[in-house]
Amino acid sequence: MKLLFLIKEGFLGFRRARLATLITILTISLSLTLIGLFGLVVYHLSDGFKKTFSRINLEVYVDPTATASQITDLQTQISSMDAVEAVRYISPTEALQSFKSSFGEDMVEVLDGENPLQPSFRVTLKSDYADVEKIQQVKQKIEAISSVDEIVYQEQLVRLVNEYFFAGTVTAIAFGATIFLISAILIFNTIRLTIHSRKSVIEIMRLVGATQSFIKAPFIFEGVLQGLIGSLIACLGLWLISGLLAALFATTFAVPWFYYIFLIITGIFLGLIGSYFSVGKYLRF
Amino acid sequence: MIELFNVSVKLGHRGVLDQVSLQINKGEFVYLIGKTGTGKTTLLRLIYMDVFPDRGNVIIDSYSSSTIRQRHVPFLRRKVGVIFQDFKLLPDRNVFENVAFAMQVIGAPQKTIKARTLSVLTRVGLHHKRYQMPQRLSGGEKQRVAIARALINKPFILLADEPTGNLDPQVAKDILALLESINRSGTAILMATHNYDLIRQYPHRTLVLENGRLSREIPPEDLD
Repeated sequence: MKLLFLIKEGFLGFRRARLATLITILTISLSLTLIGLFGLVVYHLSDGFKKTFSRINLEVYVDPTATASQITDLQTQISSMDAVEAVRYISPTEALQSFKSSFGEDMVEVLDGENPLQPSFRVTLKSDYADVEKIQQVKQKIEAISSVDEIVYQEQLVRLVNEYFFAGTVTAIAFGATIFLISAILIFNTIRLTIHSRKSVIEIMRLVGATQSFIKAPFIFEGVLQGLIGSLIACLGLWLISGLLAALFATTFAVPWFYYIFLIITGIFLGLIGSYFSVGKYLRF
Repeated sequence: MIELFNVSVKLGHRGVLDQVSLQINKGEFVYLIGKTGTGKTTLLRLIYMDVFPDRGNVIIDSYSSSTIRQRHVPFLRRKVGVIFQDFKLLPDRNVFENVAFAMQVIGAPQKTIKARTLSVLTRVGLHHKRYQMPQRLSGGEKQRVAIARALINKPFILLADEPTGNLDPQVAKDILALLESINRSGTAILMATHNYDLIRQYPHRTLVLENGRLSREIPPEDLD
């Protein structure tokens, strides 16, 4: 197969059907920008959501009879766990001050000089562990250590957040898939129209004895090129929009690098598949 | 070289050809006449295997319609040149490019393409108009370009589907004279037409197609 001829024909196709090519590239770039923008919004929302709600704190109350060395030992053991990000010791005195600032009452006065509060650890888990089942496992591990009295965390809140996050993820995937499908159909149809406008070329190629692959190749090359150019424009658009949003909301709205790769691969893939099937429609032997 | 054995063709539910048998020998010039809609175009399409018979068999050179594989059809078409009433030229390419295109798409080397294109354009008398766009050519010139394109791959037969249908009488006569000269150099020609007056000027064996059947054959000497 004469590669040079095919590449030349592919580029000539651009020139010969300028308007149709322009419309196809525009459709691809707009569709991909939409997909990218949607993905970007979902990515930053879920990232923010995770950052806000994934810092789970366990309050580990220490047995009041535990000695200082036992407490130190407990802290070492908890800190060494994979799930744990940070451990902070809260002495009964600190707990009392915190109580005072929260409720405005001095409980020691009421209880005749005795501080009833236990020493505790505030254990912050890593964000991967923001899940009730996983928290339960960590909780059981810590409970198994001697001198632990009780472990408390906001189980209901974690459950609720997880449920909302799951519902949000499912909705985003469904919505994203719909946008993707609509975009793909739109791109396919535009490519089909471009090829339809050149069906006489395909007919003549058939008549003079060009093989199927020889007829298909320039159109597929053209489709891939349109996909590539469209996706590069979409990447540029996404980069500009993210910059604009960042400036507007005075926050970082960076596009992860793999988004650009995804858009380029998607553009090339849609151009390839769209042109392959569209040109196939006019090829019957 | 070309043989049709009891060929019947249906397009959709409509029977177009019914038990047609014929033979065209190497280097022969044959007319196929009949009114519009009698199946002339379908018969030509059978020969370049654009349609296949529902019954019977078509043999073109070493290819048979009953055994040919789809991927071999393009190679058969390289041996069969086809021209049409509406020329089917590519409007966005000049004369040279239109003709060369038929060799480019079969992957011929660039040097051969250039030499061969100039040679066939000279043969059809359009060498001097090789850089013109089809829109600027007359009907007769357009048909000459189509003939050059059909000839470029050196087919053993040229199928002409109403090649003079869109041309005025004098130009039609010139085109027929060109086909006659092509035939004299060894290429067989099967020309479908309904212009009985025209073909009488260059008499050849004539097949008459009526309602999808070959009703009779007129020998050249009886074309009056």
